[in-house]
Order: sequence, then C-alpha cells, then structure tokens
Amino acid sequence: MIAHTIFFYTFSIIAVVSAIMVTVSKNTVHSVFFLILDFISISCLFIMIGAEFLGMIMLIVYVGAVAVLFLFVVMMLNVAQQKNEWFTSQESSGHIPVGLIISAIIFFELIIVIGGWKYKPDLFNTNNLNLSGATSNTHSLGQVLYTDYIHIFQLSGMILLVAMIGAIVLTFRQRSGVKRQSYIKQISRERSEGVQVVNVESNKGVKIDG
Amino acid sequence: MELSIIFLPLIAAITAGFFGRFIGDRNSEILTSLLVSISAILSIYVFYEVIANNYQENIVIAKWISSGSLDVNWSMNIDPLSSVMLVVVTLVSSLVHIYSIGYMSHDPHKPRFMAYLSLFTFAMLMLVTSDNFIQLFFGWEGVGLCSYFLIGFWFKKESANAAAIKAFVVNRVGDFGFALGIFLIFYLFGTVNYDEVFQQIPTITDTNLNFLGLEIGAINLICFLLFIGAMGKSAQIFLHTWLPDAMEGPTPVSALIHAATMVTAGVFLVVRCSPIYEYSPIILNLITIIGMTTAFFAATVALVQTDIKKIIAYSTCSQLGYMFFAAGVGAYNVAMFHLFTHAFFKALLFLGSGSVIHAFKDEQNINHMGAVWKKLPYTYALMIIGTLALTGFPFLSGFYSKDAIIEFAYLKGNTAGYYAAGVGIVTAFLTSIYSWRLIFKTFHGEYNNKSIKIEETHESPLVMLIPLIILSIGAIFAGFLFKDLFISHDTNNFWAQSIFFLEPLSTEHPPIWFLLLTPILVLISIPVAYYLFVKNKSVPEEIVKINRPLYEFLVNKWYFDELYDYIIVNPSKKIGLFLWKICDVKIIDGFGPDGISSIIKKVSLKANKFQSGFIYQYAFVMLIGFSALLTYLIVN
Amino acid sequence: MVSIGLGHYLTLGAVIFTIGIIGIFLNRKNIIVILMSIELILLAVNINLVSFSIFLDDLTGQVFTLFILTVAAAEAAIGLAIIVVYYRNSGTIRVEEIDKLKG
Repeated sequence: MIAHTIFFYTFSIIAVVSAIMVTVSKNTVHSVFFLILDFISISCLFIMIGAEFLGMIMLIVYVGAVAVLFLFVVMMLNVAQQKNEWFTSQESSGHIPVGLIISAIIFFELIIVIGGWKYKPDLFNTNNLNLSGATSNTHSLGQVLYTDYIHIFQLSGMILLVAMIGAIVLTFRQRSGVKRQSYIKQISRERSEGVQVVNVESNKGVKIDG
Repeated sequence: MELSIIFLPLIAAITAGFFGRFIGDRNSEILTSLLVSISAILSIYVFYEVIANNYQENIVIAKWISSGSLDVNWSMNIDPLSSVMLVVVTLVSSLVHIYSIGYMSHDPHKPRFMAYLSLFTFAMLMLVTSDNFIQLFFGWEGVGLCSYFLIGFWFKKESANAAAIKAFVVNRVGDFGFALGIFLIFYLFGTVNYDEVFQQIPTITDTNLNFLGLEIGAINLICFLLFIGAMGKSAQIFLHTWLPDAMEGPTPVSALIHAATMVTAGVFLVVRCSPIYEYSPIILNLITIIGMTTAFFAATVALVQTDIKKIIAYSTCSQLGYMFFAAGVGAYNVAMFHLFTHAFFKALLFLGSGSVIHAFKDEQNINHMGAVWKKLPYTYALMIIGTLALTGFPFLSGFYSKDAIIEFAYLKGNTAGYYAAGVGIVTAFLTSIYSWRLIFKTFHGEYNNKSIKIEETHESPLVMLIPLIILSIGAIFAGFLFKDLFISHDTNNFWAQSIFFLEPLSTEHPPIWFLLLTPILVLISIPVAYYLFVKNKSVPEEIVKINRPLYEFLVNKWYFDELYDYIIVNPSKKIGLFLWKICDVKIIDGFGPDGISSIIKKVSLKANKFQSGFIYQYAFVMLIGFSALLTYLIVN
Repeated sequence: MVSIGLGHYLTLGAVIFTIGIIGIFLNRKNIIVILMSIELILLAVNINLVSFSIFLDDLTGQVFTLFILTVAAAEAAIGLAIIVVYYRNSGTIRVEEIDKLKG
C-alpha cells in the first residue's frame, strides 16, 4: 500500500504541476512539452491502477499523435517566437481574480460532490482494486468491446474517418505557381493540342511560347 | 307649441353651423333670424297667456338621468319668472340677429356667427326653462361655452383668444362654487328638482354642516355656494375681470350676451332660488354688500375709460350690482323688473355704439370721435334715449326700476339697507355722469379722428337701425307699462309661486325728499357733464393732474387684474411650469417612455460588450453559467 | 491520507479539470493553449471514468474512456486544421486579435 501511495502522489503531483505549467508558460512549445509530460504521468497512473491497456493506448494516441500534431502546428504557425505575457497586457487584467474565483467555486463544488460520497458507506471501498485477475485488462476489454459495444466502436471509427476527411478538406489549397503533373491531362491530350506545324522562313527562326 | 320656442333656435344653430357653407351666407342669416324671431313671437304670446290667464305648465320633454334617488328630466317649465326671461332672451336675441346681418356684412364667417348666436339662445332658453338644477347647470355651461366661442370669434386675434379663455376660466371659478352648491343640495335633499327642494327647505333651517372646519348653517352654505356661481356669471366684483376683456368680441355679441342675457343668468338664479335665499339673511346681506360694491366700483372705473364698449361694459357690471342688491334686500321682483328694463336700454346702447363704431370704421376710442351728431342723427337720437333710460331720467323705464331698488333698500330698514341706499344714490349720480360723458365725447365737441374725414362717416343701414328702434320703444315704455305688473303692491297676483317672499314686502313709501333726491341728481348731472366734457375740457384735465394716483387707480380698474396676476395667475403659471418640466417631463416621461427607451439603450450598449468576439470571453461566460447551475443543483 | 481511495483519484480529476478550465479563459496568448486546455479537461474526465471503472469493478468505464480518447483525437485534429486555415486567412492566432465574432 505504501508503494501505491508514494507512486500515486508522485504521479499526481507531476500531473498537476505540468498542467499548471501548460497554461502558465510563456513559450508555447514548452506548453506542448508539459502537456506531453502530463499525458505520460497520467498514463503511468493508469498502468499503476490496473488499466494498463488504456495507459498504453493513451501513450500511443495522445502522446504519439495528438501532442505531436500540436507540435507540428505550433512550429508551423510560428507562435514560438511570439512574446506572450500573461499578467501584463494592455487590456484589463481585472478578469483574473474573477476567473480564479469562478474556477475555485467549480473546484469546491466538485469536491463537495466527492466529499459527499465519502459519507456513503458502501461506495467507498479501498480494497476493491482489481489488481489480480485471471484475464488481463486487455483481454477483458477486448471481450467486451467487440461484442457489447460494437456499434459504438464502429461509430468511433466513422468519427475518425470524418475527422480525417474534414481536416484535409479544411486545409487543402491549390498552390499557384507550382508545376504539377496531371496524368489525366497528359493521357487525354489530342494531336491538335500537342503538335503545331509552322512554316518557317529562312533565316528567321521560330518564336515558341511556353 | 311652447317647445318650439326652445328648439327653433337649436335647429337654426345646427343648420347654420353645419350646413352654412351649403346654404350660403345670406340664407343662413335669414334662416337663423327668422327662426329666432318666430321664437320671440311665440314667447310674447306665452307671456301674454301667463299674464292674462295665469298660465303655468311644466312640460317634460324626456327623461334624462334616473339613477338611484337622482331623477332628472329634460323639461320646460313655464311660470311667470321663466316667461319673463323667455321674452327678454328671445326678443333681444332676435333683434341682435337682425342687427348682425348688417354689422357683420363685411365678415367672411357669417354662418358661423349666426349659428353661435342661435346656439347661445338655445342654451339660455334651456337655462331659464329648466325645472331642476342639473338642466340649469347644463344651460349655464352652454352659455359659458357660447360666450367663449363668440368672444373669441375673431380667433386670429391674439387678444380675442386670451379674452375668451379669461372669460371661460373666471366663469369656471364661479361654476365650481355653483356645482358644489348643487352637490350640497342633492346631499341634503336627495333631489335636484326645484319643487321638491323648495318644499323641503324649511325643514333644515336648523341643520349645521362642518365645512372646512367651520360650523355653518346648511342653508347659508347652499346660498353662498350658489351665489359664487352667480358672481362668476354676472361679473360681480372679484369675478368681474372677464367682462371688460369680453369686449374683444363683435358688438352684437356684447349686446346679446354681456348686456341682456348671459350676465343676467346670475340674477335669475338668485331669484329662482328665492325660497332658499329667504331663509338665509346673512347671505342676503352679503349679496347686498357685494352688489352695491360692484355697482360703485364699476361706476368709478367707467368714469375714466376711453373705449366706448368698455364704458358700456362697466355700466352693465354696475347695473348688475344694482340687480343683486335689490335681490339682497329681498325685493326679487324689483330685481327682475330692473333686469327686464335693463335688457332693453343696455342692448340699445350696445347696438348703438356698434353703429357708431361702424360709422367710424372700427374706431372704438371716444377720444378719437366727436361732433358727429349731425352726421348720424338716428344713432344719436337712439343713444340719447338709451342714456336717458339708463340714468333713470324721470318717466323712462330706468327711472321706475332703478328708483324702486333704491326705495326698497331704504325700506329694508337695517344698516345695510341704509348704507346700500346711500351708495345706490351716489352710484346713480356717477352713472349719469359717465353716460353723458360718453354721449358728449362721441357726438359733440370737436372732431378728433385722424384717420378718416368727417365726410366719410355715414349713418348705418336700415337693417341695423330697425332693431335699435324697436329696442328704444322698449326702453321708453317698458318701465311704465309693466311696473304695475312687476312691482306693484298686489304683484303677487302675477308672480304667484315663482318668487317666494318670507315676509311680504313693505308697502310703505320712503319720505318724499328721498324719492326726489335721485331724479334731481340725475337731472343736474346733464349740464354738469356738458360743462366738463364739452365746454371746458381743461377742468377734467386739472382734476386728473391733481389726483394723479386716484386717476391711475381708476384707469387700472382698481388694480384687480394686477392683483390677480400676482396672486393667482403667476403662481399658477409657475405651478404649471413645474408640473410640466419636472413632473411630466422628468418624472413621468423619465420613468415612462423616454426613460425606458434610454435605459434600454444603455443596457443594450452594455450588453453589446458581451459579444466581444473573443472566444475566451464566451467560454468564460459559459463557465459562469455552468458554475451557477452547479451551485443551484448542489444547494438544492 | 495513507490509503489511497476513490476520493483521491476523483480529486485529482477535479484539480486537472479546474486547471483546464482556467487555461481556457485566463490565457492571453494564443488559441493553441485553449485547445491544449480542452485536452486537459478531457484527460480529467478520463481519470474519473477509469478510477470509477476500477473501483466499481465494471469495465464500462474503460470502454467509454476509449471512445473519449478517440473523439478527443479527432477533435484536436479538426481544431488544429481550423486554426491553420484561420492563420492563413488572418495572419495571427493571438487571442486578443480574434474578434471576428463581434456583434
């Protein structure tokens, strides 16, 4: 149990601190890195708690795909060079106390809900960690995913497809001034477009336009 | 047949008023004059019936209000009092209609004028033939309204509009008191019909009411309130300020309304309510005092006026004071008699002055007239007749009525009576001075008009002279012919129930020296006036120079207008301005439409900031909402 | 404090959730931080779901977490695509300068 406690606190403190640093840090690239750290620590937590499939998936998908995507965009849009100020801006920073208060309210309300449950006797079992088990987490997930939740599974595939198409559609643009090959045009060329017979006078040369 | 007396003028008014444009000017004049003249002839016939056969009738035309114990009918009540008034009103009205055909011949709005005159006649007839206070009030208000229309007839003139409003507003003050009186009558008796009220009066002689914290006898209070109405309508002192300004209207209007009919409505009211007034000696004394004060006041002011119509207007005011003071000493029949004769000679004087104004091409200042007695012979003669009658020259009509008033005041015996009689005699002297002043300055002396030559003044056309002649016959003979009927010792045979005397009037005569005093004063005033205003004009100027303050006091009408301006008009204007600028604009409009619209504008400008376009602000707002919802759910 | 229970995990989730929320509107930098904050929020939700799933011995939580993961990835992709196109059009992704929705 002690190990559990130590690991839990380590990972959670790392997670919280890096979450704060995501919002606070001046350099956007640093923000992305802290986000990655956040994801890693949380996924370690998941592995510790017994949901190892999810932990690994988080690592692969979140860190490997999403965070890298963020990094791509950050680099591409050249935001790293921008001078970012959090506390001193021309517009009023009077919104900060209000915002902090509101978020404190939300946090305390969430805690109240949780705390309220503390006083319910049966929902709070500390020794219900499913660390042991004949089947591994992955195995059991697989058993459930493809049978009971197949519809949602397929739907999430659709979502991914749509997202992919959407992203391409949004950002696709024809660049002008770039020479491209259009094989359809090449194949469907007619003789009349391709060859032009010119009567050349002697000593005069031919003007060929591009 | 009797009903047509009332309704013919109404038909005339409606036809000329609404259809005057279609039937043409000449036709509307003829129609209205004809219908009102028929009404006059019928009223003379009714009057004859009342005298000869004691004809008395109460014709109910229709039920008007029937609500709880309030039962009011439209009715026509013919009794001696109302029949006298019928004759006076219709006769003078028809003569004024005919006169106006000539006087208003240059005016582009003839049908409207005729319609208003006929409408006025209708309202006045409603007033005098009612058998209950509500119809009386209807007629009262109707004549006030027509007076407003007629005074402000030339509505493009600023001063005419102001005068019309002044007349209406001052009348309103009187009407307020009158209305309170009617309410009180209803409250005490549960009915507003004359018969029932008069029957029940003796039962409440001991009732006291609490009015504004004072214990007042009920009857005294009723009489006082009704008298306030009479004061307003008949231009007694304090509520007289409208009468001189009412001369802004055309002269026929002044003749009809402000000489013979509307202003006598107050006297009619007091006489009609004689059953009530007889039980209230205090108020009768008040009426006497007010009447005589008015008479004296108006006579003093008339001495120094320069506008011919204003002199005659103040003269009317003064004579009305006489009528009231006759009523105040209990001699109601004498008041009616004076009303009757006064109608003739005052209308004659007004219409004659209209003739003079017409001759001088709308000049009204007597200082710009003079020396035209040869050029306007008929007008001159008729004006002399009118003046003789007014001043009480022996054996003309005014002599009988005015001297009867002074006699009865003396016979009353109490201090108020003696005092009143004295003032009456002094006022009679002043009356004849200013009346002869008018005649001499207008027709004698030198020709003072700068704008037109004396050759251009011409006599009035026949259509204007005939009414004058008819009126002059009345002015000369009405007194002598009717004095036995109205004011003789067995006069109760005529008046019967229509006038109530608590104790019969005394049948004595005052001493001979007293009886002769007034006629002698009147007779010597003629040469005195001639000397002062024709022969030796410097004497009046000397008197004026010596008594400059007194002269100013009189010329400014005893400063009543200025006093009222200071006390009432200016504060009212300030209150009105305050209520408008602050209450209306700032408060009501501010909290109402304007305020709401500006608040909406401000709020929407602030709300505009919500749509800043910044996403994080939108997210923030969403968050606030979310936290509020969460709080709500948790707290619940 | 010693024995870690469900409450601790849920608290952790709540903390990360709140930090994500703060990040949305308290940043004056650029839009990408907002997207990252959204990822943090989704992460907090995932923590909640997984902890409940483990503690209640029910696999539904983890299945659902999988789907959330999927959706989060898709949404991050689209969001970033939009940002790229917007950057092309207006040249900036600073939060203060994006006010085209102004009413």
